[in-house]
Amino acid sequence: MDVNVKIKSILRIRAFYLFFIISSIQLGVGIMGAPALIFIEARQDSWISIIIAAIYIVIVLFVMLLILKQYENADILGIQVDIFGTVLGKLLGTVYIIYFAATLLSVLITYIEVVKVFIFPELNNFVMGLLLICLIVYSVLGGLRVIVGVCFLFFILSHWVLLLLIQPALQIDLTHLQPAFQASFVELLQGARSTSYTFLGFEILFMVYPFIQNKEKAKTPIFMASLWSAALVLVTTVIAIGFFSHEQLERREWSVLALFKIQSLPFIERFDYIVVAEWMMITVPNMILLMWGVTYGMKRLYKLPQKISLYIVAILLLIACSFMGQHFQIQKVTDTVANLGFWIVYVYPFLLLPLVLFKKRWMKRKERETDAN
Amino acid sequence: MRKRLKSESKGIFPIKIDQLENLITSNFENNTDVSFSTYEYLSQKIAVFYIPYQVTPEKVENLLLKPLSETKAEWSSASILNEIPLSSGKLETKLEVILEGLISGKVFIYVENEDDIVYYPMLKIEKRALAKAETETVVLGPQVAFTESIITNLNIMRWRIRSTDLVLEKIMIGKRFPREVRMIYVKSIANETDVNTMRERLQELEVDEIEDSNVLMQFIEDSSTSIFPQFYSTELPDRASYAISKGRIGVLVENSPSAILAPTTFFSFFESTEDLYMRWNAGSFLRILRFLAMFVSVLLTPMYVAAVTFHYEIIPPQLLVSIGQSRASVPFPPIFETLFIELMIELLREAGARLPTKVGQTIGIVGGVVVGTAAVQAGITSNILIIFVTISALASFTVPSYLMGSTIRVIRFPMILLAGMLGIIGIMFGICFIIIHLLKLTSLGRPYLTPIYPFRFEDLNKVLFRLPQNYQWKRFASFQPKNLTRFQKRKANEKKDIDE
Repeated sequence: MDVNVKIKSILRIRAFYLFFIISSIQLGVGIMGAPALIFIEARQDSWISIIIAAIYIVIVLFVMLLILKQYENADILGIQVDIFGTVLGKLLGTVYIIYFAATLLSVLITYIEVVKVFIFPELNNFVMGLLLICLIVYSVLGGLRVIVGVCFLFFILSHWVLLLLIQPALQIDLTHLQPAFQASFVELLQGARSTSYTFLGFEILFMVYPFIQNKEKAKTPIFMASLWSAALVLVTTVIAIGFFSHEQLERREWSVLALFKIQSLPFIERFDYIVVAEWMMITVPNMILLMWGVTYGMKRLYKLPQKISLYIVAILLLIACSFMGQHFQIQKVTDTVANLGFWIVYVYPFLLLPLVLFKKRWMKRKERETDAN
Repeated sequence: MRKRLKSESKGIFPIKIDQLENLITSNFENNTDVSFSTYEYLSQKIAVFYIPYQVTPEKVENLLLKPLSETKAEWSSASILNEIPLSSGKLETKLEVILEGLISGKVFIYVENEDDIVYYPMLKIEKRALAKAETETVVLGPQVAFTESIITNLNIMRWRIRSTDLVLEKIMIGKRFPREVRMIYVKSIANETDVNTMRERLQELEVDEIEDSNVLMQFIEDSSTSIFPQFYSTELPDRASYAISKGRIGVLVENSPSAILAPTTFFSFFESTEDLYMRWNAGSFLRILRFLAMFVSVLLTPMYVAAVTFHYEIIPPQLLVSIGQSRASVPFPPIFETLFIELMIELLREAGARLPTKVGQTIGIVGGVVVGTAAVQAGITSNILIIFVTISALASFTVPSYLMGSTIRVIRFPMILLAGMLGIIGIMFGICFIIIHLLKLTSLGRPYLTPIYPFRFEDLNKVLFRLPQNYQWKRFASFQPKNLTRFQKRKANEKKDIDE
């Protein structure tokens, strides 16, 4: 397996689109329930937890970029093979792919559950799964350029939803956020950790990086994207804490969606229906990117044509999501993904970086020795 | 009527006149179309033959036969070319070319025992006069439309773009029934890759016949299965010349009154030339109105179906009361009711297009007013639905391109079905699917949704709205024209302080 990837110039994308890739994979189903999760840990100081998480993510992204820069044009799968050898490297690559697939499944079943709770209690999981998977397969068939286009357009088309938060934002009770700085440092860190599922996804950078045309400009959009999603989570959390009483917030699974209930216009009474439907535009790019990661990873590791793996994974997903209708099952998948993701995304790069740096230095020294000889 | 000859590329001359007559007439079986007349001057036999209805008879008599009979001299092919006051005469030796030429209106003169034959093209083309555009009507600006005659159309194009840079490449398409196709572009502006792609697609096309430019368009489009047109078909010369002068490629087909324009973006189907002729603010307003109309047309009735079937909580109480009252006597579920009325509107539209103009108007009034009112009074549909369906039908007609208008009308039906089955989730699925489909489409290899994706900020002002003419000093950059600048940025645009 080649460590570096050769990408045709027509398949390359501008670095500017990284903003939309990263922020649309980070903002998915996680943000719907994030405020309650963070609030349970850090109470009214949740906003500090989110800021800590954001700073940590920026550091992780910096480390990831540092790793990627050591190579000419490599992705994580190639780097792992380079560092750990073919067998172990491929095994770790498989773990990565399984993690992507698990995330994809968790997003899929969570969104289906949200639709069932808010719109159609009787909806069949299979039908809803079929619709979403149709969209995923159809766009992944178009290749990365179409996928990035979907991220870009759906990002723009779904962000009007933020305007609907203005009305609840005007009604918040600031005393809910007081007294500030009450949580202990451990609680704050626990709060930060509970955001891990929400902020997951930026590891796709490890896969897309070789496709970037102007890599020297990649930094800004990446950091901006992670800050943008952190800012959105921050804003929604503050509004949710201020808007709901503490007991209400703890009991609400999807507090952000509930915020949209009070908004109304002369011709539309309840916006939560529309927002839940609109949320499809937020989850679909998410799932498309993950699906691309799974299929592209399999092509890199096992030389399996992407078309075949795409159909196989789609069918498996469809079967899986039809049998996972129960809330506890969904919770379990989500928790597993959150745990797995925590180690793979937030911790693993820090272990990988010294190895990569060491190997590069070692190679250089070896080269120098051979030159000297 | 005419037998195909086995490739007989050798010359048949010199030949006796009787033999020639036999040869020609035997190739036109079972008809006496060819007029073959023989004259004898000074014991020299001269044959003149042509198909009478393909040529202008007065011209043949006055310009060819008169000089031949009046000058008593020894004629030869060379002297005919020399003496007869026409510049278009040529020599020919091959039989198949002669037969081909007879059909395309050439008059042949043969002097016995000569080595070659002289011909003069005297084609008579039946053509109609220039008329006003019928399908793409405009209020402001040039009204004239293309006609079926390619010569007239080329004449119009040359007249509109008076530049030596204008290239009108001739390509013959059709293996069995060839037809002249002209690829038109401005050499110094059009993108070379686009020109080459277009030329390749036209040249590599192997079909027996193309009936019309709209048929040719479907043959050479990027995706022939998509519901969206990827090239623009227009009957307005000003629209064609505007696009060509901005670097696009036009294609004219013989016997077709519409030109193809490529590459195209999705948004250009919502642009009208009128936007340019109007003040920029009014033009921008109209263009935005058309985009809104597209959304209304695709989404209004599906939203009604979804809301009334599944999500009546969305509708505010007062409105819900009036909808409920008007739907109280309707025995059908909303989806049937809506499909029924939508189909009725489509019927009216189709009948209006097929019927003669005067009858069509009457049918419109009968169908629209009488049947609509009767349907409501009979309790088959609700008043509110009639309003929605009418608005969405009206909105679909604001699209300047007829092809795109029909596409939008067709898309509405699957959307209504989705809404009837899965409510707002179904609608959202439909929207997502259409957007992904649009993202996948290309036009002449260029992305269909440009400049939205791939994003180009400098082009947005030409697509979503329109800036004042002074500020539009650049051409559409997404199509990468050779020359981007239309004119130098005007000094008048520079800001000045007060009282200076």
